[in-house]
Amino acid sequence: MSHRKKLLQKVTKVRRHEHHPVLHNVHRKYGISRRTLFYMKEYGPRSHVAHVIVRESLKILVLASIISSIGGISMESITAQLLVITPLLILMPAMNDMVGDFGCIVSSKFTTMLYLGKVNRKWWRSRHLHTLFLVILFTSFLTSVFIGVAASVIAYWQGFSLTFDVFLKILSIAVLSNLIIVAIIFCISIIGGLGIYGKNEDPNNFLIPITTSVADLLNLVIFAVLVGMFF
Amino acid sequence: MAFWKDFDEILTAEMASISGGIVAGTLLAYITHHVELVPALFILLPGFLEMRGNISGSLSARLSSALFLGAAKPKVRKNRIMKGNVLASVLLVIVVSTMLGFVAFFANMVFFHILDYRIIAIAFIAGLLSNLIEIPLTVLTTFWLFRHGHDPNNIMGPYVTTTGDISSILSIFIAIVIV
Repeated sequence: MSHRKKLLQKVTKVRRHEHHPVLHNVHRKYGISRRTLFYMKEYGPRSHVAHVIVRESLKILVLASIISSIGGISMESITAQLLVITPLLILMPAMNDMVGDFGCIVSSKFTTMLYLGKVNRKWWRSRHLHTLFLVILFTSFLTSVFIGVAASVIAYWQGFSLTFDVFLKILSIAVLSNLIIVAIIFCISIIGGLGIYGKNEDPNNFLIPITTSVADLLNLVIFAVLVGMFF
Repeated sequence: MAFWKDFDEILTAEMASISGGIVAGTLLAYITHHVELVPALFILLPGFLEMRGNISGSLSARLSSALFLGAAKPKVRKNRIMKGNVLASVLLVIVVSTMLGFVAFFANMVFFHILDYRIIAIAFIAGLLSNLIEIPLTVLTTFWLFRHGHDPNNIMGPYVTTTGDISSILSIFIAIVIV
């Protein structure tokens, strides 16, 4: 027991960027999971928790936020329409949420399929991928109709003079932009996932941030283009 | 069979998530006359919402890992891991939101030829305010869920993006009023 305690103390003293053999030895000898040992090495008594987190997160957070801000530039270009047509303003955060959620779901499910061998280089033949595509397509259609209707009804309650013509345009913007984004999310997930998996890396670590950032950016751009076309 | 199971789960989670988004959008529509007065706010907004969701989501995920590994207990006092996580999240929000303010300012200057420094102050103040609401909410909910036998990983993702959207728009509104 004391030997085990000594070894665990040794783990917490390992420099953070080293992959020290002691981790492997402790894992093998005592059956402590690699994740627990990794956590002890990262956030053990010798490390400054806040410093570790800030250093590791800052770059990716800045990158993801800047990518979203680039999408914001296209939103700023349609400010006039957004301020006059209230349902568009109500739609925006919900659509942003939805795109992020679909990005996460498709990326994580596609990665799991890769690991389970349910999809390979000939991805177009995978029955599981066909089912996932249909599920996401169907869900995104229903949810975009829901947010289109909800945004129009709320705007009407707030005093916006809603005509049938405007309602149809809002519904079309919500549905069209979502369907286009779903197709893009699948393209990024399949190409990115197969590429990263082919390099023997874990797609889970890269695919979700890439898919959600690119989908968020393109969603705002497509939304701005459709608003420009319809209004 | 797999189709309907996945469809049911995804649709339920999506409906809950987008309902929060619609609440946030409704708040945004209520403050339209304030939004109108501040140029570059739509440049700041998507990045700010993204940042809030990312930081709170990671905070909750890290705390959940620490709780499951036994490295931290679900209590606020004498909790080194929690304090470190909270400090890191506060710092990250302040740094990233200020940086987003600068990005919005420069983008507004370059693309729309409008010079308005208020957006930097709004981003900074909104970042501070959203910390006050969102971080205690995330930490306490994660601990509460864990204490009641739930896996915070399954619930906190949609929860923090929804509450994050609402608290971000409220914080931006208060920041606009202050500035």
